[in-house]
Amino acid sequence: MTRGALLRFGLLLAAIVALPLAVRPVVASEIWIFAIAGMALNLIFGYTGMLSFGQATFFGLAAYTAGLMMIHWHAPLLVVLAAGTVVGALAAAAIGYVCIQRVGTYFIMLTFGFNQMFFFIAYKWTAVTGGDDGLPGIPPLALGPLAIRLDSSLRYYVFVAAVFLLAFYAMKRIVDSPLGVIFQSIRENPGRAAAVGYDVKRYKWIAFTIAGGFTGFAGVLYSMMFGIVPLESISWIISGDIVFMVLIGGIGNLYGPLLGAAAFKWLSEAISVVWERWPLILGVALVLVVLFLRGGLVEAFRRLRDALGPRARPEPGAKLPVGIAAETEAGS
Amino acid sequence: MNTSLLAGAVLNGMVTGMLYALMGVGLSLILGLLNIPNFAHGVLYALGAYVMISGAKAFGFLGGLLAAIVAVAMLGAAIEYFGVRRLYRVHPDYILLLSFGLSLILTESIILVWGPVGITFQPPALLTGAIDLGVTAYPKYRLVVMVVTTVLVLGCYLFVTRTRYGAIIRAGIEDKEMAAALGINIRRVFTLTFAAGTGLAGLGGALMSPVRGLLPTMGIDILPFAFVVVVLGGLGSLPGAILAGLLVGVVQSLMTAIWAPGADASVFALMTLGIIARPQGLLGQR
Repeated sequence: MTRGALLRFGLLLAAIVALPLAVRPVVASEIWIFAIAGMALNLIFGYTGMLSFGQATFFGLAAYTAGLMMIHWHAPLLVVLAAGTVVGALAAAAIGYVCIQRVGTYFIMLTFGFNQMFFFIAYKWTAVTGGDDGLPGIPPLALGPLAIRLDSSLRYYVFVAAVFLLAFYAMKRIVDSPLGVIFQSIRENPGRAAAVGYDVKRYKWIAFTIAGGFTGFAGVLYSMMFGIVPLESISWIISGDIVFMVLIGGIGNLYGPLLGAAAFKWLSEAISVVWERWPLILGVALVLVVLFLRGGLVEAFRRLRDALGPRARPEPGAKLPVGIAAETEAGS
Repeated sequence: MNTSLLAGAVLNGMVTGMLYALMGVGLSLILGLLNIPNFAHGVLYALGAYVMISGAKAFGFLGGLLAAIVAVAMLGAAIEYFGVRRLYRVHPDYILLLSFGLSLILTESIILVWGPVGITFQPPALLTGAIDLGVTAYPKYRLVVMVVTTVLVLGCYLFVTRTRYGAIIRAGIEDKEMAAALGINIRRVFTLTFAAGTGLAGLGGALMSPVRGLLPTMGIDILPFAFVVVVLGGLGSLPGAILAGLLVGVVQSLMTAIWAPGADASVFALMTLGIIARPQGLLGQR
């Protein structure tokens, strides 16, 4: 690890420890849960160049699967986590196969369309999902082999933070691997990636499926948090939130979604207490970020650092933020 | 199911279908010319309905319709001029995110102005009541809406295919740079097309408000169906949008009559089948 990478990782650990002191443990858990979902979207949007507006499909499907398994079978925690991850990945493999047949705006609309389809099914199939009221009655959790009860929100936070670190490590390995480089080459220039011999559709499909697995993992963690799976977990609102977090954090950067999730959840917690119409502020923030700060918070930090002094110099091998790099392929 | 119910379901499907077609034509033009899936299209439809009920109180039914189309089209022009325009040189995904942000802002603004609860709205006295069509009795107002939307959609089609200005729009869809090089003010065409497309959505919302009632989320509820219509019909193909609109509307309505819980999902199943069978859309060229 370089000094910079070590520093960033140290800051991440410090943030994990400090977060429950700054916000309620429930919100802190939510931050890392959505950071996982954000990392997944970042893999397909930031690294592979496909904007999915339907990540709640996998988030919600996994959450419902987990909820049903826990209610009806009293399935152990780790089994449920694994099952939700597999469900997310399988759903993404099936849906992704159809969606990646098209690119650009069509791809986005297809992911959105599928999300709505599953939302309507969950909404109308009340016998199984509880419909608008959500799926209640998830029993209290215990970490099976160690018999540790996760019934307090702080204990649950420790568990979430631990599995988040595992997910983060896995994602870092994927992004740094040759596979991750292929994903980025597809983002930069799909035609050239195909010309040098990569099966672009196949790799897009792989990326989409991996992301579905991560998103499903996050969905399971979400379903365990409140003892209920809300209908919202499969709605476009969650899809939009995930996109939003990745965007304000900074796309194509491993830490971007973490910053974005933290900023988003902290802000929404702080503002929603004061004003019920806080999505209005969210919308304004989104518009401002899109118009003026397309690299997100990561870009803001970079600009701040550059403005602060002569010591600031680009790290060796530093890449342009994706928001800037993407501008060169405008209108294609 | 008896004939009367069936006929009612098909007619309902055609009313919704022509509304979808109206939304789809606007979306399709914007998508074809500006290359963005306009996420704000749904909420502009909702805004049209809300402006309609306020406008109708002040100026009567037709005044309300006029207010809705003018207000929404002007808002659309402003969105293009002050927002979308700044992003043409950036990746199209950012324009989508911009329209998503606007969608949030406008939905919340509707709640702030008109309140979060649903509102019902009556058609003018002249058009209330049902008319006997032989097979079934059907509300007069819905028939009028069907006729008006059909005329509008066909009018759009003729405008785009038969007029000089329509030729400019088609040239822009085909090749923006070439059109600009030939001396066409393509920026102005963008603004006007965006305004017209969103204006149609606003008018659609206004026309449907007595049929479906008003709810702040009505825009986001209808948006996926408009997207399905565009995807199923084919990029930039207006006849495709009309055909897909009718198809989606009738399938959805018939399924509601047969097995209501599966109605909305069946539409997306239809889209999936369509995409697999004809990736370019029913009448799309590429």
